[in-house]
Amino acid sequence: MDCERVSELLPDYWEGILKKPDAELVAAHLSTCKACGELAALGESIEQLPQEQPSPALHARFQAMLDAYEAGRDETKQRGSHPAIWGGWTWFRPGLAFGTAALVLIVAGFLAGRYFNAGEGPRSQEQMAAMESELTNMRQLVVLSMLQQDSASQRLQGVNWSTRQNQADPKILSALVHTLRYDSSVDVRLAALDALSRYRDQTQVRQGLAEALEAQQSPLVQVELIDLLVRWHDRGAIDPLHKIEQDQNVDPTVRERARRAIDQLS
Amino acid sequence: MTRPVPDEELMMLVRGGAGDMLGVLFDRYQVPLFSFYSKLTGNRAASEDLVQEVFVRILKYRRSYRPGTAFRPWIYQIARNAHADQMRKRRDEVEYQPDMEPQAPQNDSANANQQQALLHRALLELPEDKREVLLLSRFQGLPYNEIAELMGCQVGAVKVRVHRALQELRAVFLRLNGGAAATDRKIAGANHGL
Repeated sequence: MDCERVSELLPDYWEGILKKPDAELVAAHLSTCKACGELAALGESIEQLPQEQPSPALHARFQAMLDAYEAGRDETKQRGSHPAIWGGWTWFRPGLAFGTAALVLIVAGFLAGRYFNAGEGPRSQEQMAAMESELTNMRQLVVLSMLQQDSASQRLQGVNWSTRQNQADPKILSALVHTLRYDSSVDVRLAALDALSRYRDQTQVRQGLAEALEAQQSPLVQVELIDLLVRWHDRGAIDPLHKIEQDQNVDPTVRERARRAIDQLS
Repeated sequence: MTRPVPDEELMMLVRGGAGDMLGVLFDRYQVPLFSFYSKLTGNRAASEDLVQEVFVRILKYRRSYRPGTAFRPWIYQIARNAHADQMRKRRDEVEYQPDMEPQAPQNDSANANQQQALLHRALLELPEDKREVLLLSRFQGLPYNEIAELMGCQVGAVKVRVHRALQELRAVFLRLNGGAAATDRKIAGANHGL
């Protein structure tokens, strides 16, 4: 097999779709021909180039655009969906100083909603309700699947996503309590606790927190948990706090914090 | 472990108006798209603008997303168009000025870093269509059928483009590498003379 032919076959060879005699011939050629070996190595090294991380400003800009869109949608929903001609669209275009964009967001949001929603036509209440319910299910699915990923950063994203729900969803709350108790990463457990701290009125959450207190191994999480239970004046936590205070295996700082918490709650 | 919700299902919800689901897609695609653009343009600020532009366009054209369309080629097609439009606009103004030194990976030898920097520089010297096809296939790992779909050509044509682009990349890389080696020899010679 000559060099030109090998070079032509490289794309298939890399994708692993080259049939057997050809694949073997290419491999043999690459190991003996220096020039072709270098060519293949060059192509392969493109894969190894590092991924670039954008600055946090990109996420902020995206979020601002999305918030404006959502605000506009809400407004469109309330008014009924009448498309409007709007020339202010370019406000969301990249390249605009972010500060200026933020200033005009409130006004632009409403207009952008109409722009983005132009042509949708009015929807019946049943259609809207069906869509909302489908969305709630999908949001739930997204969060639950994120909370179960192998990567801690993805689970952290899942916890963050859970806080975007307007209403408490029992399945998500239960998944967050589970994360608080069993997640292998302290960061993820702390984030779950932070997310749960918004649901004081949920019995499921208060019980889950008290149980998590006993099961918790990390002093950092224990201290945060105790502080939250005190802020909530949760007298139901007094029993588990007693157990912690008397447990010789628990970190002394945590036991001291538990003792003070019992005083405050009693 | 449950499987992550497919991009296509999320996009169908965005199509129906659920903007927050676009946030999940943004989380998944912002780094690959930004990396693609920064390798393509060599300019970080322009790359961030372009990523933002892609998501603005997704919202704007969300109704053109058809059920059953593979999401990845679709978003890369939007990305290509956004870049082409930007280039057209800029041609009348000023061309992109690369503002970034190719990033070096950590925990690697100095020589490997130098080779990567050289490779990135060689890529930036290629004509844009050749650079793009190499980045899509080798850096982003898109299969040839997806690239064919987003470029609107046959799979065979994509492979020919990859083959030609690679040949040209080698020529540029060898030229740059030869230059770098000559400089090293010159410096070594000068030090020897001292």
